[in-house]
Amino acid sequence: MRREILKNTRHRGTEASASAKATADRPGRRSQRRRRLSQCVVFSVFWMMSVPAFAQVELGGTYAIRMHEDYIERGPGSYLGDFTGMPLSDEGRAKALSYSSSLPSTIERQCLAQSPWVGLYRPLALRFWSEVDESGRVVAWVMAGDYLRDHVRIWMDGRPHPSANAWHSPSGFTTGHWEGDTLVARTTHVKTAWIRRGVGIPGSDQSTFTVFITRRENLLTIMSVQEDPIYLTEPHVVSRVWEFDPRASQGPLRDTCNVGVEIPSLEDTGEVPHYLPGQNPEEDFMVRTYNIPKEAAMGFAHTLYPEYRKTLRSVYKPPESCGRYCCGWIERQGLPGAAPGLTCNDGNLPPALRKALTTADR
Amino acid sequence: MKTSILLVVLMTAAVGAQGRATQERATTARAEAPIDLTGQWVAIISEDWRWRMITPPKGDIVSIPLSLQGQQAAEAWDPAKDEAAGEQCKAYGAPGLMRGPIRMRISWQDDNTLKLETDYGMQTRLLRFGAPAAPGPRSWQGDTSAQWIVRGGGGRGAPRFGSLKTITSNLRPGYLRKNGVPYSERALFTEHWDVHSLPNGDKYLVNTNVVEDPVYLQAPFQTAIHYKLERDTSKWDPTPCDARF
Repeated sequence: MRREILKNTRHRGTEASASAKATADRPGRRSQRRRRLSQCVVFSVFWMMSVPAFAQVELGGTYAIRMHEDYIERGPGSYLGDFTGMPLSDEGRAKALSYSSSLPSTIERQCLAQSPWVGLYRPLALRFWSEVDESGRVVAWVMAGDYLRDHVRIWMDGRPHPSANAWHSPSGFTTGHWEGDTLVARTTHVKTAWIRRGVGIPGSDQSTFTVFITRRENLLTIMSVQEDPIYLTEPHVVSRVWEFDPRASQGPLRDTCNVGVEIPSLEDTGEVPHYLPGQNPEEDFMVRTYNIPKEAAMGFAHTLYPEYRKTLRSVYKPPESCGRYCCGWIERQGLPGAAPGLTCNDGNLPPALRKALTTADR
Repeated sequence: MKTSILLVVLMTAAVGAQGRATQERATTARAEAPIDLTGQWVAIISEDWRWRMITPPKGDIVSIPLSLQGQQAAEAWDPAKDEAAGEQCKAYGAPGLMRGPIRMRISWQDDNTLKLETDYGMQTRLLRFGAPAAPGPRSWQGDTSAQWIVRGGGGRGAPRFGSLKTITSNLRPGYLRKNGVPYSERALFTEHWDVHSLPNGDKYLVNTNVVEDPVYLQAPFQTAIHYKLERDTSKWDPTPCDARF
C-alpha cells in the first residue's frame, strides 16, 4: 500500500502543473485515486486503534530504602547460624555452616558479598537510569546502588543471553521486557556469591534470577525469584519496597570489593578460614537464643509454609525478653530526636547513650 | 476537503466505538478485571520469619517505625487482657493479617465484590468496587474500596495488563505484629496487588502495602508481601484467632 501511496504522490507531483481539465478528462482515474486514499485513511485509523495504548514506565531516579522488613539481616547483619526463611539444599546448608566471619578477609573471597541483586539484602538506596540509542529508544535500564560491585544493566533490545560457557561477570547478564507496568528482568551468568551476607548462605554460579520491578505511584517494588540447582531446593523469593526520593542517599559507589577485617596473620598463608562439619559454634545459636527448632534455623524449605506452625506450636515458647536489635529502625532514625524517650531494649546501644536517652526526654 | 471530512468522520466513529466498548466492558468489575486474583494463595515466609511465623517476645519492635506512643503501647502488650476482653483477633485485622502465615482464598462474591478469606484466624474481607457502602461499625477487616488500574488493551488483540489498588479504613484498633505492636482506629491501609508469572507457570501475588497511622507510627510502614498460587488446595486449614501463638 505504501508503494501505491508513493506512486500516487509522485503521480500527483508530476502532474501538479497540469490543468484541471486534463484531470476531469479522466474521471475513472480520479475516482480510483480517491478510493485508494480512502482505503489508506481507513487502514490508518484502524491501525491506530489496534496499537497497545501503554508504554513503559519511567523508572529513572533515586529510591530511598525502606527497611521495614528483615531489618537485622539488611542492617547490622544476620546472626551466625540464622538460615530461617531459606530453602537450602544439604549442600547449601553444609557450605553455610562452614562459614567463618574471617572468610571475607581473604582477598580471593572478599567479593562473595556482591551478587548482582545484593541490593535486596542491603540497606541501600537504588538509582535507575536508561540508556538510549540515537533515536531515543531505550536500549537498557541500569540499576546502581552504593553496595553494588557493578551496575546491573538490563538489556531491552532483544539480544539473546550468551552461551552457557560464556564468562560469568560480577553483575551477570540480564535482559528485560515490559509486562504492563512491570519490568521483568532475567539474570544469568553470575558468579558464586552469598545470598545473605554475613552468614555464608551461598548462591552458586548456576543461579538464575527472575526479577519483577514495578513502580506504583512513588513506591518501587522489586520481587526476585532466585533459582539455584546446587544450593537451593526451591526458588528463593524476596520482595522489597523503596520510595522515590530525589534526595535519597546514593553513597559512595563501591565498585571494588574490600575486606571487612584485615587479618595480617592470614596473609600469604593459603589458609581458608572455615569450620569443619559439626564444629560451628553458632550452629545452635537460634535454638538457644530464640527457642526455635533447629530445622527452622537451618533453612529447610518446609519451614517456610504456614503448616509448619503445627510443629512450632508444640515446641516454641517466646523468650522472656528481646535481647538485641529490638528497636532497629527507630534507633537509626537520627537519635535522639525522632522518637524521644525510647525505652525499648536494644543491646546494640552503648549503655551511656541508652541512659541519656531514657532519662533526658522523660 | 471531502477526504478531510471522511477522515474526521472515521476518526469520530472509531473513538466512539472505542468509548462504547469501554463502557460495555466497564459494566462490572469482574468483567473489567485485567488480572485474575482468584484462587488459593499461600504466604511464603522467606522474610521476617521470626516475626511472622511465631510470636516474638514483647518489646521486639524492630523494623516498624513506631512513634513513642506506639512503642509504649507495644510494651504494655498483655495477651491475657486481650483474651479477657474477647479481643484475641487483634493481630488478625487486615494490616496484620496480610503479613501473617496465611493461606487466602480469593473469589468473586458478586460482580463488584471480591471476597478474601483466610484460614489463619478464619477472617473474611470484602474488596468492594464502585461506590463505597455506608460505613458500619468498625471491624478487624474494615471497609475496603477497590479499583482496577488498567493498562493496555486499547485495540484488537492488544495485551491488557493491570493491578488492583485497595484502600481499607474503618478498622478496629489492632496489631501489626502478634506481640502487640499496635495500629489505631485511624489507620489507613493501602495495598497494590500485582500478579507475576514465571515461564514454568508458577504464579506469584505481590502485595505492596502502606500502613499510615498518625497515632502509633512516626512514618508510613511500607512492605511487600508475596504469595504463591496453589493448585492443590488441600492444605487449607481454618484455625481460630489465638492471642498468644
